[in-house]
Amino acid sequence: MSVLLEAFKAIKEKHLEAKRIVEEATAQAEKLKNEAEQKALSVYEEAYKTTLSQAEQKAMDIKRKAVKDAEHELEKFLSNAEDQAKGIEAKARKNFKKAVDSVLNMILQ
Amino acid sequence: MESTRVITEMILEEAKKTAEHVVQEAQKSAEETLEKQRQLGVQKANESAQLLFKKAESEAELNKLHSMANAKIKANWVILSKKEAWIDNVLNEAKNKLRTLTESKEYLSILEKLITEAGVILGGKELEVILNEQDSTLPLKLDDLAKEISERTGFETKLRLSEEKPKVIGGTIVRMANGKVIMDNTFDDILRRREKDLRSEIAKILF
Repeated sequence: MSVLLEAFKAIKEKHLEAKRIVEEATAQAEKLKNEAEQKALSVYEEAYKTTLSQAEQKAMDIKRKAVKDAEHELEKFLSNAEDQAKGIEAKARKNFKKAVDSVLNMILQ
Repeated sequence: MESTRVITEMILEEAKKTAEHVVQEAQKSAEETLEKQRQLGVQKANESAQLLFKKAESEAELNKLHSMANAKIKANWVILSKKEAWIDNVLNEAKNKLRTLTESKEYLSILEKLITEAGVILGGKELEVILNEQDSTLPLKLDDLAKEISERTGFETKLRLSEEKPKVIGGTIVRMANGKVIMDNTFDDILRRREKDLRSEIAKILF
């Protein structure tokens, strides 16, 4: 009879110990979840900040590239204008006498 | 006693497995929560980034359009100034040629023609001919010119040389004796009157 009692007692003790182990694990799990929830905002903010900072850098690159492209196009345009001006100059030189004669004809006709 | 030991070990073993599972699940859940937040942060930042890119692109396009428009205005202005300068050169050269012409033999007949035309336009009668200092010394046949004006207008015409000596390149101003109407046929005024047409004609020929 006492052997059986001893056995029940041992089983009951181990049950209690098992319960305590599971309760501790549950508490640890709860702590992990709480910590994650507390950390969530800073993780969000960090990810937001990092991504946005990269985007800002990219936006700056877009602007820089656009400025460079515009400068290139501007150079091309001004070079064309210079050529046009030279063409005008050459034509004017060539036709100068004809134009003067035409003015004189118009005045004296 | 042996069977009791086996049972108690099983109970403990089961409890440890359960505890391990609970903690692992919690860790997994925590990691998922953090990953979800991280992705949310990236997603929100990307949304803002799209606006940032659009703004950067439109600013860049606007700057480009602005600088191109300025360059076009500047280039057009330079070309226009160049053209205007050449037209001015032609007009100045024409004035020089007219000055030279006033020294030539053929000028006398040109001046007579200008006086006659002005007299006809004024309708003849008593007219005053105004010439510059140099032209006043020319041997003009005013009576012959008056006769021609009379014939063309049907009115008896008399021409008188004025004492006025305007500083003009050449040509004449003819004035009615009563001073009410004048016809300015000086080269200076012809150039002034016809400047718009002349500039347009010069531009056509030059460019």
